[in-house]
Amino acid sequence: MTRKALLISPEICIGCRGCQTACKEWNQLDGVKTSNAGSFENPPDLIPALYNRIRYVEVPTEAEGQRWLFVSQRCMHCGDAGCMKICPAPGALYKTPEGAVAFSKEKCIGCKLCVTACPFDVPRYDKDGKISKCHLCSDRISQGLPPACAKVCPTGAIRYGERDDLIASAKKTGHEKVYGEMDLTGLGALYAFKDAPRLYGMNENPAIPESVIFWNNILKPLSYLGLGGAVALALIHYVAFGPKKNEEVTRDE
Amino acid sequence: MSNMIRKAGPFEIVNHWALAISFFALVLSGFGFLFHLEQMNALFGSFSRMRFIHNWAGVIFMVSLFLTMFTYLPVSLRLGSDDIGWILKAGGYLSKKAVVPPQDIINTGQKLYYLVFLLTGSAISASGLGIWFIAGVKKWVLISHLVHNISFDLLVTIIPLHIYLGTLANPGTFRIMVYGTVPLEWARKRHEKWVRRMGY
Ligand code: HEM
Ligand code: SF4
Ligand code: SF4
Ligand code: SF4
Repeated sequence: MTRKALLISPEICIGCRGCQTACKEWNQLDGVKTSNAGSFENPPDLIPALYNRIRYVEVPTEAEGQRWLFVSQRCMHCGDAGCMKICPAPGALYKTPEGAVAFSKEKCIGCKLCVTACPFDVPRYDKDGKISKCHLCSDRISQGLPPACAKVCPTGAIRYGERDDLIASAKKTGHEKVYGEMDLTGLGALYAFKDAPRLYGMNENPAIPESVIFWNNILKPLSYLGLGGAVALALIHYVAFGPKKNEEVTRDE
Repeated sequence: MSNMIRKAGPFEIVNHWALAISFFALVLSGFGFLFHLEQMNALFGSFSRMRFIHNWAGVIFMVSLFLTMFTYLPVSLRLGSDDIGWILKAGGYLSKKAVVPPQDIINTGQKLYYLVFLLTGSAISASGLGIWFIAGVKKWVLISHLVHNISFDLLVTIIPLHIYLGTLANPGTFRIMVYGTVPLEWARKRHEKWVRRMGY
C-alpha cells in the first residue's frame, strides 16, 4: 500500500478547533476542565484526553498590532519513529499499512520511555500509565474513511490522502519546502508553511536523540556480543588450559 | 569435619543466591525488552508482568548488592604487592606451572571483579530507578537509559566469566555457595594468607 499522510495548511486554518472536538468524539476522550491561562489556546498542551491540539500563536506586528497563527499539533507519524525504536514492548507501537504509527494499550507496559525518544514530545499517558496519542485514526483509515479531524475541517486546512499527491499539491500552491517531506525518512503529517516553521513553534531539525541511536545501533548488539564472547572465552580457556585442579596447584613457599 | 574450614556463613550464602536469582530474572527480562523476545512470555506470562517482575527483582538485586559490601568490600580494597604478583602471573590461569603469591580470603582477580561488579551494579540500579521513577524528566531518563544499557553490556560480559571461574575452572569452588565450607588443604593452596590468619 502506498503511504498515506495528512497535509496541514496553517494559512487557511481559522482556529475553530472543529478537529480537536471531532477527534475527541471519535476517540471517546473525556472532557477535561481547564483554566484560562490568558490565551485563547486551550488546553495549553497535549494531554492524554487530547490527541490533537490547535496551537494559537500570537505574533506582534507593526502594522496590525498582532497576527494570529494556528497550527495543529499531534503525532507526526514519523517514517523513522523514535517512539517505536525505544519501546521495550512488542506490538505496543506499530506501523499500519498506511504508514500510521498506531498503538495498543493492551500491549503497552506503561514504561513511558517513548516520550523521551520522540522528537516532537507527543506521547501522553492515561490514568493507567498507558500511551495515548493520535493514531491517524487507524481504525477509520483501514476502512477507507478519512481521519475524523480531516473529515470535519471546514476549510481544508487538514487534508488526508496519498502522501506523494499531498506533497505535489502543496508544491503546486507555492510551498517549495514542505515541512516533514524529508525529516526522519519523511513524516506522515506534512505542513505547508509560508512563514518559518519556528514561528509556529515547530522543531526545525527534528531528530531522534543521539543516545537512542547509539543504544540502538551499538549497545543493543554489543549485549549479545559480550555475552557470546564471554562464553566463548570460557570455553576456549577450558579447552586450552583446563581446570585448576587442586592437585595441580602449587603453593608459593 | 576437622579438615574443613568455613569460608562463607549462612548470611553470605543466602545473599549470594538472592543476588544470583534476581540477576538471572533481570537479564532474561532485560534481553526480552531489548529484542522483543516474545518467547519470554512462556516464563513471565506477559510483557506487563515481565516489567513488574523486572522492577521488583531489581529491588531485590539492589538490596542484595548493598549487603555484599559488608562481606567483600573491605578485603577487596586491601590491594598490595601480592596482588601485583598475582596479576603478573595472570592468576596462574595461563600456565599449569605458574605459582602465584599467597592470597587472602578472595584472590586478586576476585577483588577486582568485585569492585567492577559493585560499580556496574550500582550504576544499573541507580539508572533503573531513574527510568522507573522519573519518567517524563526527559534528559535524565535518556541518561538513565544509556547508563542502564552500558552497565547491562558490561554485566552480561563479566558474569559468565565469574560463573565459569567459580565452577568449571576451579573444581571445589562451587560448594562454597552451597555449604560455605571447603577442605583445609584446598584453602591453604588458594587462600593461604587468610588460612594463616585463621590460625591454621
Ligand atoms: C536494580 C534495579 C533495577 C531497576 C529498578 C530496573 C528498572 C528498569 C526499568 C524501569 C526498565 C524499563 C523497562 C521496564 O519498565 O521494565 C528497565 C529495562 C531494562 N533493564 Fe533494568 N532495572 C534494574 C536492574 C537491572 C539489571 C541488574 C539488569 C541486567 C543485568 C537490567 C537490565 C535491563 C535491560 C536490558 C532493560 C531493557 C533495555 C531498556 O529498555 O532500557 N536491569 N529496567
Ligand atoms: S509507554 Fe508503552 S508505548 Fe511507550 S515505550 Fe513504554 S511500552 Fe512502549
Ligand atoms: S511524532 Fe513522536 S510519537 Fe509520533 S511517530 Fe514520531 S516519534 Fe512517535
Ligand atoms: S487523525 Fe484521528 S486520532 Fe489523529 S488527530 Fe485526527 S482525529 Fe485525532
